[in-house]
Amino acid sequence: MNFSSDWGRIMRLRLGTLFLVLFFIGVNPPLRLQAQDTGGTTPVTASKELTLVKAAMCEGIKNSSPQNQAIIFSAAIGEVFCFTSFDPVPEKSFIYHNWFNRDRLSTRIRLAINPPRWSTYSSTTFREADKGPWRVEVTDQDGHILNILRFSITD
Amino acid sequence: MDKIFASLLSIRWQDVFDITLNSYILFRLYVLFRRTNVFRVLIGIAFLWFFQRIAVFLGLILTSWVIGGITAAAALIIIVVFRNEIRSYLQAEKIWAILWGFPRKAVDTPVQVIAESVFEMARRHTGALIVVPGKDDLEEVIQTGVTWDGAISKEMLISIFWPDNPVHDGAAIVRGTRITKVGVLLPLSRRNDLPSKYGTRHRAALGLTETTDALAVVVSEERGQVIVSKGSQIHLINNKDELSSILQDHLGIAEENLGRLKREKVELAAAALASLVLITGIWFSFTRGFESLVALEVPIEYMNRRSEIEIVDTSVNAIHVYLSGSGALIRSIQPSQIHVRLDLANGVVGHNTFTITPEDITLPPGIILTKVKPRMVEVKLDVLTERSLPVQVDWTGRLPRNLVMTQLVITPETVRIIGGRQVLNSVSTVYTEKLRLDTINKSGTLTAKLALNPTSIRFVSGYNENVKVDYVIKKRF
Repeated sequence: MNFSSDWGRIMRLRLGTLFLVLFFIGVNPPLRLQAQDTGGTTPVTASKELTLVKAAMCEGIKNSSPQNQAIIFSAAIGEVFCFTSFDPVPEKSFIYHNWFNRDRLSTRIRLAINPPRWSTYSSTTFREADKGPWRVEVTDQDGHILNILRFSITD
Repeated sequence: MDKIFASLLSIRWQDVFDITLNSYILFRLYVLFRRTNVFRVLIGIAFLWFFQRIAVFLGLILTSWVIGGITAAAALIIIVVFRNEIRSYLQAEKIWAILWGFPRKAVDTPVQVIAESVFEMARRHTGALIVVPGKDDLEEVIQTGVTWDGAISKEMLISIFWPDNPVHDGAAIVRGTRITKVGVLLPLSRRNDLPSKYGTRHRAALGLTETTDALAVVVSEERGQVIVSKGSQIHLINNKDELSSILQDHLGIAEENLGRLKREKVELAAAALASLVLITGIWFSFTRGFESLVALEVPIEYMNRRSEIEIVDTSVNAIHVYLSGSGALIRSIQPSQIHVRLDLANGVVGHNTFTITPEDITLPPGIILTKVKPRMVEVKLDVLTERSLPVQVDWTGRLPRNLVMTQLVITPETVRIIGGRQVLNSVSTVYTEKLRLDTINKSGTLTAKLALNPTSIRFVSGYNENVKVDYVIKKRF
């Protein structure tokens, strides 16, 4: 499978994973306190598994939140986003967003995630020929599927 | 010359049996119907068929068509006209007599008694007409007489033709040891060349024997002469021995006459040989003559596939077979008579290449395989396995711009599929047939049919091909 060609042909990856959503300590006090209680070491967090708490297909991202979540998108809007949020993130690692058009892998996007919580997204643009059923498989760095998001691109 | 040798070497035991059987049937037809009208008509039909074949060979389209029609009609007519004769053979007490043995007619007919009676009546100038039937049925030609059914005796015959007897003017029919009918009226001959001395009795005797294989004995009332009519011939008989001999000959009564037996054996041997030669000629003309070629597309049948193995893909579903043989056989060939069977017993999972050999192709007898195209067939085999696959809706059309579909529940979420392992590994989702969005304006439920792709996979029994789709529609903010 030539991922690099798919990468370049279809998708414009907005490597904007960039946005790190660190919630205020007051928003998530237990985790923060827990980390603090452990004196900044990671035995407790390391023992926790990477957990996907939210995944959604949407038309955009605004203020670190998915906008206009849906499962059917018009090809006319041109771009669809896959938003994922993890809590906790035990250690710095990667996750993948694998975009499939029917059963054909269209693109595979690697996204970095960092402790203790992280939200990230990928997106892809669509042409008329891309109409049909799609899915995004969210996997950890070892390839374990964390979630599958199914959606359709229509007229 | 080589071609002739090759043709002879290709004769199978079935062909020899075929020729022998049909030769024997033809020979038996001759034995059963010889010297009868049926046989003469059969000969006529055989000639018609022969001329029709010649007409076909010469390309005389209309002539061959007309003769063919006449032959077919004649074959039908022979069954209708000679139904009584045919029935008499089929209803014979010994059905094996049809297949074996040589029929003898009324071997126990008291010929000597008849001869003595006839010459006694001749001496007394008592007119008489006695009919001894052959194989032909007389019911079609004779007028109804009086049923008599009395044993033959000299006194009985003389009394029947006694001038004061009411039935003395008619004919007496003799079958075996009995006089079956008396006072029978016979059809009169229309011949103009008969001497004036012959009266009505002579004309009646001729009228019957001209149209049947019966023999008639006439005693002239005026001259006291004995005359025998057979076919269209009339013979004057001078003594009892001569009449006895003629009657025995007509009835097929075995005599201690070596010459006659030898003559009959020679006749039958010649008939058997002629039957063999004729059928062999016909067989060769059918199977080897006028070689023609034809190409047919025949579907491939895959045999001996193990139950756990599935045919996933084949390079071709049918092959072209090029055949040669006689024109008659090639024209009569039906595609259903040809089978191409590939043995998958040694097939392995994955790609297999099979070469089609003549042993894989079943042909009708007499047809020769000249070429196969393509000769190689690729068959992809796979092990059957089951998998649960998620279902996804394949939407099409467009939702109104102010609406958005936010939630979708498919029931069941997964379906169990059976198919080739390699095929199933390449399939991760079962999609529905296309569902249109244009008519959707609020939340609701739809029923969608699943579309299996590739077609080689199928549902495990118990799974429905329809799923329920519940969807939630909200207004776009």
